[in-house]
Order: sequence, then structure tokens, then C-alpha cells
Amino acid sequence: MLKRVLLAEDEPNIVEPLTFLLERAGFEVLVETDGRQALDAALARAPDVMILDVMLPELDGYEVLRRLRADRRAERLPVLVLTAKGQREDRETALDCGADRFITKPFANAEVVEAVEQLAGR
Amino acid sequence: MAATTQVSGIDRSILGTRIRQRRREIGLTQVALAERIGISASYLNLIELNKRRIAGTLLRRTAAALQVALDDLDGAAERRLLESLTEIAHLPSLDGLGIEDGRTGELIGRFPGWARGLAALARSERAATALAQTLTDRLSNDPFLGETVHRMLTRIAAIRSAAEILTEYPDAPAERRDRFHRIIHEESRALSDVGEALAAYLDKADAPDRRLTPLDEVEALFDARENHFGEIETAAAALAREIGPGHAGGRRDAARALVAARLREPIDDIIARQPQVETAAARERARRALAAYAVDAILMPMDAFAARAAELRFDIEALAAAFAADVTAVCHRLTALPRADGRPRFGYYRANAAGTLIEMLGLDGLAVPRYAAACPLWVLYGAQQSPETVVRQRVQFPTGARFVFVGRARNAGETGFGQPRHYVTDMLAMSEDDARHTVYAPTPSAPVEPVGPSCRLCPRQSCRHRVEDPLAE
Repeated sequence: MLKRVLLAEDEPNIVEPLTFLLERAGFEVLVETDGRQALDAALARAPDVMILDVMLPELDGYEVLRRLRADRRAERLPVLVLTAKGQREDRETALDCGADRFITKPFANAEVVEAVEQLAGR
Repeated sequence: MAATTQVSGIDRSILGTRIRQRRREIGLTQVALAERIGISASYLNLIELNKRRIAGTLLRRTAAALQVALDDLDGAAERRLLESLTEIAHLPSLDGLGIEDGRTGELIGRFPGWARGLAALARSERAATALAQTLTDRLSNDPFLGETVHRMLTRIAAIRSAAEILTEYPDAPAERRDRFHRIIHEESRALSDVGEALAAYLDKADAPDRRLTPLDEVEALFDARENHFGEIETAAAALAREIGPGHAGGRRDAARALVAARLREPIDDIIARQPQVETAAARERARRALAAYAVDAILMPMDAFAARAAELRFDIEALAAAFAADVTAVCHRLTALPRADGRPRFGYYRANAAGTLIEMLGLDGLAVPRYAAACPLWVLYGAQQSPETVVRQRVQFPTGARFVFVGRARNAGETGFGQPRHYVTDMLAMSEDDARHTVYAPTPSAPVEPVGPSCRLCPRQSCRHRVEDPLAE
């Protein structure tokens, strides 16, 4: 069965290349474009890995991450934070909230795909 | 506890030094003073060398014998000064300089002026550091900047990712490839919009801080009007007919008198309507600058000047001869030419022998540092090596922008044998494209000199003339 990646990102022009790349790498990709729906999907649809943008409408990425870590269904879900906010404190906040990986935009495609593969345990 | 001991210890050191100083001022020997206050001369000597403490009745008696108030001997102002200097002595930035911390009192006693000066410097340094900190904070916390940088990075991420896919997956289906092309197209347009907004914002954010002196305010006025004042041109063209022929000096004096008598109000009107000129000093300077502009406009009326300039292909020396004017005035007129198709845009810069920019009528795209050390490679600074000669320079900035500079140094001092020469340089600047319409058009084989704005802003690491490191690596 295909491993499933939940992509929480509100920029369609980032979603499209990432979706293409992850599908090529053999993942099934679910896309959510706001924080609240991303949280629901992470809890309800049991993804193997989540890619999470920080600046999301409704609920920001950090808050999504905090709530995931407080919920038994998703406390172990591997999360890759992908953001244009690349300052040291942003990285620290992300890791404090329970992120497993932190990659800044602009990113190299291969870096993201490799990180997702690692987090998915492949 | 330690602090108290230190302060009283230093107090004592001021006291002894001040007693000696005052005693000498009033011409009293050590022996005589010691007698008056009822101690031995050798003990007084120890006090004056700050090796014994003096207080209480003895101190009061000493003050009386020296005919000074007790406060003057042991003044509060000195104590504050002492505290400031002690603080300075312990500044981490001064570590390792071997500051004689234990002799601060002696410094204050012997060189009170220097001591106050040092404290004043430290105060202004603190104020400047605080200001720099505020500005830094503003930059890093500015919500607009943060948001804009975030948007730029997001756009760049989309472009990079899509571009990588196009290169690395040549087998992707045509309709997907089209999508990625479209993403690159869309996002690069959005990126250039963001970039423009950012540039406009930085321009605006910069404005209140940039006009630091009256000279800057006047430059901002000329900048805002692109160095052209239509209302003065119209009035001047009418006045030009009132000046008859005659020698150049006489015509210039007549033009000056006309401007003083008839153009004062229109000039004041222009200044009153320009928000760039804020201070009284700047208004005065602007009045003088616009009056000089009006005199040139009378002597070289715009229509005639523009026609002749085109005919002579903007040759500054030929124009100076044609209008019996000096090169500086011709340069001023060239910058005042209104925009027209096929007509070059000119900037004008004048520097003195110390390399200080003393006048600037700016040209779009050519940034000249006002206070920072400028690039010494500009002909503006080099022309003084061959005075009274027009030197042309074809330059390229690190951004790739190319300009042609035309510089000529002239003696601004007295003329006569044995008189010192003080050269100033007039420099006309134009883009290389515009230079093609002028006599200064470089031939294709003319060497291109790499120059920069100033060392701090210039990335040419290997430049042999670099005197400061660039701000950003």
C-alpha cells in the first residue's frame, strides 16, 4: 500500500510541484490549505508523514503541531515543517512544538523528498 | 561595599590633587599652607599626593585657608564626572588599552576639560548606539519587511521547485510541464511586484532620515523637480529680453539684479510649496540655489540653450564659449533640460580637493554616497591630477550599469603667481546609452573602468583600492 503524505500548504504554486514530486517518489498525497482542515485530516486520515507550512489561514502551523502532539492519535506522526520563516527562533519554535524536521523555503526538491522518505521510514 | 570603598578612595585622590592645584593658584607654599591649617608640611605633602585621607574639620580649615567653598574642593559635579569616567574605564570595548583606572581622580583634577570632554563623548556614543539599536530593531521587527521577505521567499520557492522539475523530469507529461512553466511565469511576475513594493518602501522609509542637513533638503527639492523649474524658466525667458548685449560680467550682474528685483516672490512660492525644504537654513540655501538657477536661466534661456546644446552635441566647453558662461553654469543648465525623446539626462557633481561632495544634481540610478568614503576611482576625484582638462571616463558599476563621466578640475582659489590653487572638480554624468548622443560617446574599444558606489556598498573584493570592508559579504 502506498504511504500517505499530508501536505498542509496554502500556496497552490508550491502545492503543485510538491505533489508532483511526492507522487513521482511513490507517495499518495493529500492536500489541505488551511490549518483547521489540516489538523482534522491529520487526526482522521492517518497519514504516514505530514508536511506543514507555518503561515496557514485559520490555525497557524505551530498551533496545528501543538494540538497534534496533544492528541494520542497523532502524537507520533512525523512532521516536516516547511517555511519561509527561517530565523533561528522560528526553527527553535518549530522544534519546541514537536517538529521532526525543519526545512526553509526556498528548498531543493531533493532535500524535501529525501526528508519525507526518511520520515516515512523507507 | 566594594563600590563605596572605591568611590571614597577616588574622592580622596581628587581632593589631594585639587588642594595642591588651588594652593599653587593662589601662590601659597606647602609650608605656608601647612602652618595655617596646623599640620606638618610632610603630612600635607602626603595629602596632596593623595596618600592620606583628609576630611572633617581639617578639610574645612583647608578650604578656608585656600579661600574656596568646601563644595568646590569636594564638588558634586566632580563626583558625577568621576562616576562617568570610572564607568568608561570599565567599558568592555576599551579592554586591553591599559586605562589608568586608579588615576581617574588625578585626571579630573589636572585636566578637568579633557575629563569632561571624555564623559561627553561617552554620552554621545551611548546615544548613538541606542539610536543604531532602535533602527536595527525597527528593521528586524518591521511587520512590512517581515511580511515582504516572507512573500519573496515563498515566490522564489515556487519558482525554484518548478524549474528544478522541468530540468530533472524531462519525461513529465506535456500538460504538467505547461503548468510548471506557467507557475514560473506567474511567480516571477509576482516576485518582481514584491521587489518593486519593497524598493518603494525602503525609499520612503529612508526619506526622513536621509535629509540630515540643509544641503540635503535643497538637493531633495531639486530631486523632486528633476532639476527643472518651469515657472522660473518662463519668467526668465521674458526677463532675458530686457538684458542688452554687453560683456559677460556685466550681463551676469544685470541678470542678478533682475532676479533680486523681480523673481523673489516666485522663488519663495516654489520653496513654500515644497515639503522637502523644512528648516529655515534650508529655505535660505534653497533661495540662493534657485536665484542662481534663475540667473543661468536668464543668460541661457532654455529654448535657445536646448537647441544649441543639441547642435553642439552637449559639449560643455563649446557651450560655455557659445554662451560666454563658465563650465559649472553650463553643467547646471544641462541637468535642467526637461525630459525629451532622444535627449540625454545629465547628473552633475562637484567635489573639492578633500574629496567632499559639495554639490549634487542627481541622476536616476547613480547613487553617490554623501558621507561615506566614496569610490576614489571616479574621475570626480581623479580629474584634479590634470587640472583644466576635460577627462572622460567610461565606468561600469557592480550592478552592470554603465555610465560616462566627464570631469574637469578648475582652480577655485585666487589666481596669480604664488597664490595657492584650490581645485574643485565639476563632473557631468550620463548613462552610456545617453552618451551616444553627445561628443562624449565612447568608442566601442574605449576601456571600461570597474568602479563602485563606495567601498562599503561595493562587492568587488579584489579591488586594490579598497579601504573598507563591504557591509554585506
